[in-house]
Amino acid sequence: MHHLAPVPETRETGTGCDILAYLPPGIRDIVACLPASTWEQLEEIRLRVGRPLVVTVREGERFVSPEGVTAVGPSKAYLVTADDVKRMLQIITASSLYALEDELRSGFITLPGGYRVGLAGKVITEGGRVRTIKHIAGLNLRIAREVRGAADAVLPRVIRKPDQVYHTLIASPPRCGKTTLLRDLARQLSNGIPHLGFTGVTVVIVDERSEIAGCYRGIPQCDVGLRTDVLDGCPKVEGMMLALRALSPRVIVTDEIGREEDARALEEILNAGVKVIATAHAFSPEDLVRRPAFTYLFRLRLFERLVLLSRRYGPGTVDRIIDGHKLDLAGG
Amino acid sequence: MLKFLGALLVVGAGGAAGLWVAQGYARRPEELRALQGALGLLATEISFALTPLPDALVQVARRADPRVAGLFRDVATLLCNRSGETVEEAWAKALDRFASRSALRDEDIAALAELGAVLGVSDCEDQVRHLALVVERLKVQGLRADEEARKNVRLWRYLGFCAGAAAVLVLC
Repeated sequence: MHHLAPVPETRETGTGCDILAYLPPGIRDIVACLPASTWEQLEEIRLRVGRPLVVTVREGERFVSPEGVTAVGPSKAYLVTADDVKRMLQIITASSLYALEDELRSGFITLPGGYRVGLAGKVITEGGRVRTIKHIAGLNLRIAREVRGAADAVLPRVIRKPDQVYHTLIASPPRCGKTTLLRDLARQLSNGIPHLGFTGVTVVIVDERSEIAGCYRGIPQCDVGLRTDVLDGCPKVEGMMLALRALSPRVIVTDEIGREEDARALEEILNAGVKVIATAHAFSPEDLVRRPAFTYLFRLRLFERLVLLSRRYGPGTVDRIIDGHKLDLAGG
Repeated sequence: MLKFLGALLVVGAGGAAGLWVAQGYARRPEELRALQGALGLLATEISFALTPLPDALVQVARRADPRVAGLFRDVATLLCNRSGETVEEAWAKALDRFASRSALRDEDIAALAELGAVLGVSDCEDQVRHLALVVERLKVQGLRADEEARKNVRLWRYLGFCAGAAAVLVLC
């Protein structure tokens, strides 16, 4: 087991300023007035009809006053109106909700720049499946922060010169930077890492929730590397098989595995000689083992590296990297 | 001589006024038909091609009858400005401009105005339903306009000149 120092100061691309264009005029002015320190850590902007405007920063949620001050109670905060939500919806959908039926079914809309807007409202179902969302009353604009260098601490343990990669599982509780790490891993593996003597390999990202590459109309909005293909919005199991058949990758990258069928698909892919880097929600390795899909995978000793993240020194802190052969605690 | 010229002017003015009214009667059914066609095109763009609304409106403006194309082009332009205007506001503004230069009556404009609140804010099926509803209303109003045009166009064409001539007779 390895304990690693907190992630070094990373270089972030994009200041998030272009999100202003997606906000309704009234809220645009308020958010533009936010202090620079808040801007730097801005993770989410939440609009809920009739309730205070909320921004999420690294430390937690903050109410925002009409003057753009964040340290206020809910009574002094700006109350979001139905008109604000209506206008924002028109901006983010280009006034064409009808063209976004798949997005409504998945509950979020991806914007140019890799931003995502989660939707809340009246869910209409058909045969037990979500058909669409009507009367949208809540919007959550998530700012994808591309952190170049997020994978620097992990990389030496994940690759084997000159072009081999280990099967890797990244596990952590939510909001610890799994996806950020995954994105940077994909980028660096794809581009090649000269100082580690690693030549780039073909990477396919199966991006079921459009979070890793943030595709807009099929084109990745985040830098995911020179040799990377993205299957955007594609269910994981089908996506991994499709990639295997059609795109001949060396590495498949995917987010949030955990169901039994994911495990079966992974087994097949791992046996095909393609390497997989995946993430999973878990609070601890023991937590992982309790889930049947992982018990199965660990018993097969498919993963060669387990990376555990936490927020101990901010999001993206690499807690431990466990070698596959030491994963006995998992197998039983 | 002067009297003759004056009489000619009065008859001419009466005739022109009559022709102008007659033209209004003749233009309205044509515009209503053009609008039905254009809204049909819009429904196709939305339901088959899932074209985003601003692009769909540009397509409609390009292919629709020039008498009504301006309305769709104006809405598209307003939406592309990204000034934060909703479709409802852009539609109302463009429709206002269109109404002032068209031969449509208030009830025709009212039928069109209702579209503003629904365009682009619901799923395909719903969009097509709303568009079909408006097209149906315009069709009914079109039939009535045809009827009126048949009765009134010729009447007003002659009435203007006759009224002019009558005025000349009275004045002389």
